[in-house]
Amino acid sequence: MTHYVIIGDGISGSSAAETLREEDPEANITVITDEGEPLYNRILIKEHAKGKLPEAPISIHDEGWYEERDIELSLNTHVTSIDTDERIVHTHERDDLEYDKLLVATGGTPTQLPVENSDADGIHHFWTFQDARGIKEHAEQSDRGVIVGAGLLGIDFAAVCGAQGIEADYLMRGDRWWRYALSNEGAEIMHEGMREVGVEPVFDSGVDRFEVDDDGHVVGAVDPNGERYDCDFAGVAIGLSFNTEFLRGAGLEEDNGLVVDEYMQTNVDDVYAAGDITRFYDVLLGEQAQNGSWGSAKEQGRIAAVNMAADDEAEEFEWVSSYSITHFDFPFLSFGHPTLGDEHAERKYSDTEWRRVAFKDGKIVGGVLIGDLSPQSKFKQLMREQREVADQAEVLLNKQVDLDDLE
Amino acid sequence: MNMASSELRSRQRRLEPVESVPPTATVRHVDQLDTETLDYFYDAVENGRALPADGATNLEVGEIIVFNGYVRVERA
Ligand SMILES: Cc1cc2nc3c(=O)[nH]c(=O)nc-3n(C[C@H](O)[C@H](O)[C@H](O)COP(=O)(O)OP(=O)(O)OC[C@H]3O[C@@H](n4cnc5c(N)ncnc54)[C@H](O)[C@@H]3O)c2cc1C
Repeated sequence: MTHYVIIGDGISGSSAAETLREEDPEANITVITDEGEPLYNRILIKEHAKGKLPEAPISIHDEGWYEERDIELSLNTHVTSIDTDERIVHTHERDDLEYDKLLVATGGTPTQLPVENSDADGIHHFWTFQDARGIKEHAEQSDRGVIVGAGLLGIDFAAVCGAQGIEADYLMRGDRWWRYALSNEGAEIMHEGMREVGVEPVFDSGVDRFEVDDDGHVVGAVDPNGERYDCDFAGVAIGLSFNTEFLRGAGLEEDNGLVVDEYMQTNVDDVYAAGDITRFYDVLLGEQAQNGSWGSAKEQGRIAAVNMAADDEAEEFEWVSSYSITHFDFPFLSFGHPTLGDEHAERKYSDTEWRRVAFKDGKIVGGVLIGDLSPQSKFKQLMREQREVADQAEVLLNKQVDLDDLE
Repeated sequence: MNMASSELRSRQRRLEPVESVPPTATVRHVDQLDTETLDYFYDAVENGRALPADGATNLEVGEIIVFNGYVRVERA
């Protein structure tokens, strides 16, 4: 009987466990997580922090879900190392575990700002449900906020401040929010959305140090220009560090993430990886890439499990990911790899509508839609079909996209 | 209206804005919808169009979807 061990009970690990049970009814399956609760909806915890969503609907699985499927769930268990020669997983809390096939689905941890007082009380990072509970509780009592990190996770802090009535300064290093994917015109729509909820974007800024009171609670942030911003609440979202420390010495190839092929196989026999942690071979892009999104992590877990159970390269990962921002009164959707590619086309349609399409070798590799999501499935279709359309960007920028207009 | 079309209508879905979420609700984020469902969903939000009957989307009656507002899937 095969023993599958899955490290991580986020959406990628959990989706793999579910698929493995379907594919291999007799197998032993163990899921290990260092969190204290089974799978929950990580992309809804921001709604809890905003004070809009109670806790219960955020939980996805209870412990009974694992029991019903005869999957062993090991909560509060931190994996400290793995021995890929002996096929053993070492943990802090329990006996060593032997595996036949291993899935690493450990995601990442928010990176701390390398500045003075960055671990002070009142400075938050956002990854777990526990983080969200702490953020909610503190946000409800706070008046002034500072946010650092001009990307997709930083904006969630802006939304929390907006929803919890905290007046905040959003300190950005460059001249706009998510400068790698948006031009000034696109970013300005987002800035306006922030201002409307009481969050002021501050450009060419950032944080040089935090100031604390005698109790060690944050009271201000000082930017590299020497400007000081009062705050009793701070949110830091400057990126993720992948959870790979326990893999040291295991012989797995890493390149800012675990390198896997399109079957989610690492370079070591019978060791697979899935979810945020992977740098996977993207068959549509034709190179290694990374996704940090729910749908992609879920699908990678499923694909890894199919291939683990088949003991073969049975199915490859082919996916166009999506990531929405739902905090403002206009929609926002980023798809594929909007920050990659060798050229792009973009257009502004109104004060709340803007579109960018990114191309590589003439093919769409990603894009951003603000205000009007109607072309999303057409762009994703063109990506899957790998059509060369960069020279017909006008058709893609028409307000109503009609694929029949493409030659 | 003939039987077939009234039956079809009764299987169609519409979206209703919700102000608060009870602890017993089933809630999903819009990023959990597949590409095709997102198309239908967006069309329903933007243009008030009914969602197709079961099977064409993976939306369940009663569930709440977190989008720019929260909306509940209802029988049309
Ligand atoms: C606040 C927030 C908002 C987001 N919003 C969106 C969104 O709107 N749309 C979207 O598509 N995506 C969003 N994401 C991203 C999305 O949540 C992730 O891409 C996805 O959850 C990744 O799943 P995963 O299974 O790869 O990793 P994770 O969910 O991070 O799971 C990894 C698990 O492994 C555990 N672990 C790590 N190391 C060890 C160890 N040594 N031993 C045992 N266990 C370990 C971790 O504790 C964790 O439980 C958001 C993320 C956050 C934090």
